[in-house]
Amino acid sequence: MKVAVLAKEVPDLEAQVKVAAGGASLDVEKRKVLNFFDEIAVEAALKLKESAGAEAYAVAAGAGTGIDALRRALAMGIPGAFQIDDPALAEANPLTVARALAAFLQKEGFDLIIAGKQATDDEAGLVGPMVAELLDIPCVVGVTGLEASDSVVTVTRHTDMGVEKYEVPLPALVTAEKGLFEPRVPAVTGVMKAMKAKIDKYSLADLGVEAAPAVKVLGYQPPAKRAAIKMIPGEPAEAAAELVRLLRDEAKAL
Amino acid sequence: MDFTLTEEQEFFRQTIADTVDRMIMPKVEYIDEHPDEFPWDLWKEFTGLGYLGLRYPEEVGGMEADTTTCMLFYQELARASAGFSMAVTMNMLMGTYFLHRFGSEDIVQRLMIPAIRGEKIGVICFTEDQSGSDVGATRTSATKVDGGWVINGVKNWITDGPICDFCTVICQTDPSKGARGLDFFLIEKGMEGFSHGQILHKMGAQGPITGELIFDNVFVPEDHFLGDEVGRGVQHLTDILNEVRCMTAAQAVGIATTAMKDALEYARARKAFGHIIGDYQLIREKFARIAMNMEAAKLMVFRTAWMIDEEKAGRGPNPREEAFLTKMFATEMCMECVDEVMRIYGGNGFAREYGPQRYFRDARFLLYGGGTHEIIKDFIGGQMIKGRWQSRL
Repeated sequence: MKVAVLAKEVPDLEAQVKVAAGGASLDVEKRKVLNFFDEIAVEAALKLKESAGAEAYAVAAGAGTGIDALRRALAMGIPGAFQIDDPALAEANPLTVARALAAFLQKEGFDLIIAGKQATDDEAGLVGPMVAELLDIPCVVGVTGLEASDSVVTVTRHTDMGVEKYEVPLPALVTAEKGLFEPRVPAVTGVMKAMKAKIDKYSLADLGVEAAPAVKVLGYQPPAKRAAIKMIPGEPAEAAAELVRLLRDEAKAL
Repeated sequence: MDFTLTEEQEFFRQTIADTVDRMIMPKVEYIDEHPDEFPWDLWKEFTGLGYLGLRYPEEVGGMEADTTTCMLFYQELARASAGFSMAVTMNMLMGTYFLHRFGSEDIVQRLMIPAIRGEKIGVICFTEDQSGSDVGATRTSATKVDGGWVINGVKNWITDGPICDFCTVICQTDPSKGARGLDFFLIEKGMEGFSHGQILHKMGAQGPITGELIFDNVFVPEDHFLGDEVGRGVQHLTDILNEVRCMTAAQAVGIATTAMKDALEYARARKAFGHIIGDYQLIREKFARIAMNMEAAKLMVFRTAWMIDEEKAGRGPNPREEAFLTKMFATEMCMECVDEVMRIYGGNGFAREYGPQRYFRDARFLLYGGGTHEIIKDFIGGQMIKGRWQSRL
């Protein structure tokens, strides 16, 4: 079985993010990591490599980004990594990213594609399903359980209505949800290998892909500042009465 | 001069920082609050990643990392837990160096390699009741007998001594020669006459179990002499002291990094007189001064690390004075930093539920290893007066 992981490089969750002057872009501190949900996808691929002898590789797409994400995947133990690097991918329409990834996956070959449920920067969750659609393969999003054989994957997903279980014929794409697996911490041997790895690069032209029309961001606004928190003292009965009074008379919520 | 880390070094730093955050950070308070417990579970989990072989060659399972990469490692470890970082560095440097350099193939396979896999604990023993910086006053003796040596004496302040599987011990082989009559010997757990004495209860740097080791007529075979020629022990010791001092400085930078990060968060949130305390000039002055000294300390650590590698490659001088100065400056910087951070926290700095009191207790321990600052100042000043050293920059 050949397993492909879609990896996205995103800002570290602790990176400082500010709306730039003019409001049309963001100033993001340059601290880049592999997307949290993609780390889970990498772990899933490694589990298949270890249990079923699957071949595995990771691929990232971006404009001058992706190397750190791929090195993380390599450090964790993914044997191969590829970067799609093109200026047209800067703030690109997710469809362009999906087209690029789909073209590469078709060229490199796959049986199962595992992506993260969403990226922690835009939280869009679009690219995985778009890739599946472009490749005309079944797609299950947000899986929390995964077992694979040569021809089929069995996945579970947790919803508000309960647990769903699917048997999906390969080739297929699934997206990983928190709880699928706990990503391993890379051993130093993996880290040193990743440090020295040569990662092949492809442009959109190399893959015969045209960019979809760009999505123009009109502006960003920081979230509204939260009002100060008021603590209501006293015994529960007193505090409850005071709370009702405040909700009715001050907040006008009752 | 290129002051940037290579892409590979930056990736290494990011990876070890993430590993430390996931694996060690969640346990640091527990480690600090349980000083009589060695953190075995964390030890097994962390050493299983293979980092203890970082500085050793591939033929013993090491990674042959350069000294700068090693310093990044020590810094990140100490950022989480000074004590745990000391246990790790004991096994990966001081506790195994002499076995790797002078040990027989049996000693390397049986002890050194398992130690850098974290499967055995190896330590080094210098300090005695009457000798610390004055290593020439060592009284633990090694007497030549048929087939080997007999060791007698007591060592104190041995990091992980009470739990070690083996130790490298500095002994007097010729009392008439002072520092020129010292050599290193390997002693293993289970050897007759070798035991541990009292455990020392430290005020900080918890994690390692520190205590006394007793050698009562311990016979060691000839191959447990860790040297090439009797009387050259101190000379061999100086070969790693630069690295040890630079490592101590890197650990100091690590502790200061966490202390300053916590203090910044506190100063952005804590209010007094209607403003966050970060708005007040005297608080800002503290941050500026800490940042200034921390930048200088980092530069000294990385320059000394570079000089150590240049010397190993035969391209540069022995950076002995630079290593002394780096250790002294970085650890004093850390002391000032943790003191100011406690002041920024006000009364809360004194509370066990906040980090600053732990950083304050931990930082102090870095003052002593690799030479007290009184000794270092006397030595460096003397070197300068005698015309034996001046800045190479």
